[in-house]
Amino acid sequence: MQIVVLAKVVPDYEVPSADFELVGNRAHPRYTRMIGLYDENAVELGVQLKEKLGADLTVVSYGRNDDVQFLRKALAMGADKVVLVEGDSDDPYVIAANLKDAIDRQGTVDLILAGRQSSDMDRGVVPGVLAGMLDLPFVPQACSVESVDGGWKISQITETGKRLLKLSGKGVLSITSVPENVPRIPAVKAIFAAKKKPVEKLPEIGTGKMAVSELSVSIPKVESNCELIPAEDMDDAVRVLLRRLKEERYL
Amino acid sequence: MERIPYWNISYGLLIDLLSIPAMAVFGYGIYRHWKRIRQGKASVRQGITLDALKLGPVYVWSFLTRGIVGTRIYKKPFTGIAHGLLFWGMVVLTVGTVLVFANVLFGIPVFTGEFNRRFMGGALDAAGVAALAGVLFLLIRRLSPPERLTCFKANSGFILIEIGIIAIIITGFFIEGARIAQNGIDPGSFVGNWLGFMLPTGEGGLELHRYLWWLHGLLVLSLIAYIPFSPLAHLVLAPANAGLDTPIPGPKMGVIDFEAFEGEGEEAPSLGVSKLADFSRKNLLDISTCLKCGRCHEVCPAAQTGKHLSPKGVMVTLAEYLQEGKMHDDSLLETISTDAIYSCTTCAACMEACPVSVNQPNAILGMRQHLLMERSEMPDIMGQAHRSLEARQHPFIGTGFGPNDWRKGLEVPIYERGATEYLLWIGCSVAYEERTQHIGRAMVAILKKAGVSFGILEENRCTGDPAKQMGNEFLFSEIAGRNIEEFNELGVTKVITMCPHCFNSFTRHYPLLGAKFEVIPHAVLIRSLIEAGKITLANSGRSICYHDPCYLGRHNNVLSEPRSVVSSIGHLVEMPRHGSESFCCGAGGGNYWTEEEGTRINQTRAKEALDTGAKTIATSCPFCMLMLTDGLKKFTEEQMVQDIAELVCSQMEG
Repeated sequence: MQIVVLAKVVPDYEVPSADFELVGNRAHPRYTRMIGLYDENAVELGVQLKEKLGADLTVVSYGRNDDVQFLRKALAMGADKVVLVEGDSDDPYVIAANLKDAIDRQGTVDLILAGRQSSDMDRGVVPGVLAGMLDLPFVPQACSVESVDGGWKISQITETGKRLLKLSGKGVLSITSVPENVPRIPAVKAIFAAKKKPVEKLPEIGTGKMAVSELSVSIPKVESNCELIPAEDMDDAVRVLLRRLKEERYL
Repeated sequence: MERIPYWNISYGLLIDLLSIPAMAVFGYGIYRHWKRIRQGKASVRQGITLDALKLGPVYVWSFLTRGIVGTRIYKKPFTGIAHGLLFWGMVVLTVGTVLVFANVLFGIPVFTGEFNRRFMGGALDAAGVAALAGVLFLLIRRLSPPERLTCFKANSGFILIEIGIIAIIITGFFIEGARIAQNGIDPGSFVGNWLGFMLPTGEGGLELHRYLWWLHGLLVLSLIAYIPFSPLAHLVLAPANAGLDTPIPGPKMGVIDFEAFEGEGEEAPSLGVSKLADFSRKNLLDISTCLKCGRCHEVCPAAQTGKHLSPKGVMVTLAEYLQEGKMHDDSLLETISTDAIYSCTTCAACMEACPVSVNQPNAILGMRQHLLMERSEMPDIMGQAHRSLEARQHPFIGTGFGPNDWRKGLEVPIYERGATEYLLWIGCSVAYEERTQHIGRAMVAILKKAGVSFGILEENRCTGDPAKQMGNEFLFSEIAGRNIEEFNELGVTKVITMCPHCFNSFTRHYPLLGAKFEVIPHAVLIRSLIEAGKITLANSGRSICYHDPCYLGRHNNVLSEPRSVVSSIGHLVEMPRHGSESFCCGAGGGNYWTEEEGTRINQTRAKEALDTGAKTIATSCPFCMLMLTDGLKKFTEEQMVQDIAELVCSQMEG
């Protein structure tokens, strides 16, 4: 059994808004790079499945040559190898096509996991496009996966709770964050072992782009409006807070 | 009349002969301890080199002060004095006994003249009285023990020993009395003379003397033989433990050479401690030496605020495993519990309080290293901080600030090779927390005012100390390695720190990784600037209470300098627990990033400071400042906590 996890190396997704700046419509290169937030959840889930099922776990990424040093964290977490397609496109279609090419080269793949959205572009499009290209079902917002009868039992996070689904065969899942898939801190021996694990680099394949052009990118202006809720009576304060949140349509 | 050894005793030399098997049993008992301790391994950590007087592995000064004189015992005056009376009383009595042997074997004239009157009579009687008083106090305290002696487990066997010692001393006095009753007053022997008046003369008196003499001798030999099998083994173990303990304070974790692990992969030896066999011999000596006196429990901030950890509890568990020979039992960490292991703030109050030089934090941190580096287990929030440290070089998860926000609007020079004298090390806490950013800004103002040549790094980051405290020695060594490399490239030779954790790491651990630079804590530098007249301060006269950061005070003995600075700007007020006996703010050991159970340590400490009635609470650690500021919120809305740099900055004249 082989499981593939898609992971993207992104600029630090926790750069404080006051410190954030753009260069060429993208985050300034001075920011630390790391595996995307949800992608790490997907890697963790992949490692858990690997440990349970004895599967091979391959991390496939599309990005820069020097991303390998950051992708090694996935190897330290428990992945068996990294396949990096070297490219710099932000186009979801181009990315998905390149990922598909890399996945096709891996032989039989039983399950593909991805973070629910990358932590830089935040579109959450690539896994769905990839599923279409691979002609596989796509389940977004999954949080746990079990192997059952040649298929997969999947918990999907919905607005109101969880939905249990059964996937009878291969598929592409985008993974959201739950306490059960908080990425592990790699053990030191695993970090050393990761240095020896194989990293395969593939050249980008030429492919068409989506018919969408980026016109501008702007940083939202951060404003904070502070409203103090009297807290002498806690019950009352909670009621006022709830009412205000509903009025402002946060709830 | 001159005293005659073995007077009234037939075959008295039998006692001397019986001392041979007694000493053999004693030796066997010590050998058992040695054998048990030898099961520990030589540590992979590098040692800390010191210029202290050292004979082989023995630190002579520690051996003499803590091991023999027992300086730490006296921190509890009553117990200390009782212990001192007993120990030194018995030492003098032993010297007296040896002199008797010297007289018998070599004819050395100890029973004549002034020496007989003053020493063999008066001094030995006084020593007996002192030892008796001491042991009676200790017996009463064992029978009516304080909580610290009984929590988790009391050390059994003391009562029997104490009764034995009392019997030895009393029989000794009565032998003397019986002899004097027969032979007349012995000059100087005030106890013996007094008893002599009450004891019978004639055949009855002689018989009493004989029986008591043999009883006394046999009791002494039995006690000697029993020492290694009883808690009295600390007579040997405690000096040994003190002598082998590096005299500098703090847990002394050293560093691990991870280059040795390169290429080993999964086959590399296990990191940290998961079972007794993973401990070093010094750790096992610690465990063997621990007397379960609970002084560590009494001062531990975690134990005193309802956390899972008690350093005494940990040592008791380890001692039980050692006693039962469970060297390879993997259940050790589960028995002690992850919660307890991560509750240690590494403040080292326990080791400072320990009268027998046990290094509890070293054992706890060893287990923490295993949990983190081998099992990847740590509390959730600490885990998030750790991941941030790993990815971003700082542990301040969710900070609203970039690395250079602290100096916005401020002209701060960048360090230049060959042109700048001091590197002002900003570190992580001053950069990423709004409140502590003021420390950095104040320090810049002070240095500029004093005309100090200084600069900062273009990109500031952490020393890696939180990683080390959380147990990730590997991450620490990676971060430290990068810092050292950059310092070397920049030609940095002098560093100013504002955080005691940075200071501690730079001075204790970085040199082991090849760093060669001088480090000065800002409290020390500020004081020298004041003394040199480079900054002048207006004394506000307001009362200022100073909280000692553990990593500056207890760990590094920087106690007087910050106090001197505080005294320059106001009236210094002390909390009941201060100096090297200060109480932790609760942030150490990575516990800045935990959800506390029980009473919050920072609130306990903040209340203590508030109760002094001081108008301001001063400290010299950004973590202490954050913790105390937060702790104080429970009691007042006033912003009372300030770093000494801020205080100095606000009082600078001209």
